[in-house]
Amino acid sequence: MPNPTDRRRNLAPWWGLLFAIGAIGCNVAFFVSSPLQGALPWLSLSLAVLALIFLVAGLWRALGQPQVYRGRALSVVLSVIAVFAIGLTAFAFVSARKLPSSTAAAQVGQRVPDFSLSDTSGKRVSLDQLLAAGSGSPAPKALLLIFYRGYW
Amino acid sequence: MPEFEAAGVRPVAISVDSPEVSRNLANKAGYTFPMLSDPDAAVIRQYHLLHLAGGPDGHDIARPAEFLVDSSKVVRWTNFTEDIRVRARADDMLAAARELR
Repeated sequence: MPNPTDRRRNLAPWWGLLFAIGAIGCNVAFFVSSPLQGALPWLSLSLAVLALIFLVAGLWRALGQPQVYRGRALSVVLSVIAVFAIGLTAFAFVSARKLPSSTAAAQVGQRVPDFSLSDTSGKRVSLDQLLAAGSGSPAPKALLLIFYRGYW
Repeated sequence: MPEFEAAGVRPVAISVDSPEVSRNLANKAGYTFPMLSDPDAAVIRQYHLLHLAGGPDGHDIARPAEFLVDSSKVVRWTNFTEDIRVRARADDMLAAARELR
């Protein structure tokens, strides 16, 4: 048995944890409006995969080659924390993309259906009224209909 | 928002939230455009945007979607996100609006 201090440091679990934190941190970056926002889900997923690779390598070293590498217990602790972050990342990825495809929705060139709904003061407002000139404001050239999930 | 006005575009937000909830959001965020309430998701269903049981309490809600609609009610631009974390960008919407003449 060689002297414990002769064994090498095992940095792989640390890298795994770092990438896992990066993966979950991507979810915070969504609050920043940027042209790259569309790439964030994939960046997050890539970091999570990278983290997993480093964790497996780290555990392989720590548990499989304890005569060569130090930090067996630490590797396990770091891996558990990182796996938790990876799990949350995967959950966020799957649940955020669980959306109906809405292929039947109006496409460019098609007319949208008329509607009449209550505004914030409870007053009914129709599509025609929205397209018409309001009190003091001219008729808009276009409407931007924004459907959102609500429950903010 | 002034950019939208300058481009002649009136934003209209639609969700299943009640008028009270929408009013609170409008006050908090300073929104001055109309925010419409579709509590039974009737219009959302009519627009084929229903996300069954998509709400936190299992309510039916709208999937996020944006339509630029001209004065003859014809769609000129759409955006259907595939990830609720990825939102439509104001710049994209304005670019589409400025193409309208």
